[in-house]
Amino acid sequence: MAANPMVQFNVYRVGPEIKFGNIDLSFTNSSLFMLISASIITLFLYLSTKNKRLVPGKIQLISELLYNFVAKMISDTAGSKAKPYFPFIFSLFVFILVCNMVGMLPYSFTVTSHIIVTLVMALFIFIAVTIIGFLKHGLKYLSIFVPSGVPVVLLPLITIIEIISYLSRPVSLSVRLFANMMAGHTMLKVFGGFVISLGLVGGWLPLSFSVALTGLEILVAFLQAYVFAILTCIYLNDALNLHH
Amino acid sequence: MENKEDFKTRLKIEKKRLEELTFKSENKRGLFLGNAFKLGTELVAAVVVGTIIGFILDNWFGTKPVLIIIFFLIGFAAGILNVVRTAKNMQKND
Repeated sequence: MAANPMVQFNVYRVGPEIKFGNIDLSFTNSSLFMLISASIITLFLYLSTKNKRLVPGKIQLISELLYNFVAKMISDTAGSKAKPYFPFIFSLFVFILVCNMVGMLPYSFTVTSHIIVTLVMALFIFIAVTIIGFLKHGLKYLSIFVPSGVPVVLLPLITIIEIISYLSRPVSLSVRLFANMMAGHTMLKVFGGFVISLGLVGGWLPLSFSVALTGLEILVAFLQAYVFAILTCIYLNDALNLHH
Repeated sequence: MENKEDFKTRLKIEKKRLEELTFKSENKRGLFLGNAFKLGTELVAAVVVGTIIGFILDNWFGTKPVLIIIFFLIGFAAGILNVVRTAKNMQKND
């Protein structure tokens, strides 16, 4: 077992090397675990809705709870106008949740602990929300950069501040998820290393910490998926219902 | 028929109890933790974005240290704005 706590984040090639010019498109362990997560979701949702019944069984109940949870989240934060975007937010939430949870299994790889993965998701949301805003409101969408009731002297400064605040959305969205997952998994590994190096005599204390941290990490895994999805809803709300 | 009505009222009571329970334990404590993370990154992200914009503009105009300082400060202001806005949202939801 590697003692270095950062080794678990290494991305390496699985299978043959595929190259297009200078771009490496090989299948990596990261892609493998994304595929595993996506398959788990598809399989679970297929199995749970195969025998639909009016009084749901246990497995059907879980998927219905999941559906209701996301539907309520969207209607609470973004209103009824956001209904068409339900499939996207549902897939986003469930994908991040399952990726985080799969990462909690020993010997697995956490896809969301890499900033490139979370940044691509956040940038996609950012660009999509901006396009939706312009499509719905036209050039009037630019008025979110100009808050009402500001003196004319301060207007240029406020506008620049608003623009930077708007541009910081994808950064904060992606860094939050990535930092939480990476910090948590590093911490788990460090405490695991303490257990081994202290042995039978002193290893019990870090072991108990490890157990507590695992519980906390499962909470964080759920929470970060939730925060990511709910912030997507809030940004969508800003684009759909212009009121500044 | 009577049995059915009985079942309905019991279901209603249980549902209400369950709602209160989950709202109290999970929603509250979980959301606080999420909000704490949210506020921290919100502030840092705006500062980072502002500094990067200042750096790029400095390279364009060749005014090396001036714009990066100005945009760092503007980014800080934007970060405070983000935090205040998030806190306002949090209060509205309570």
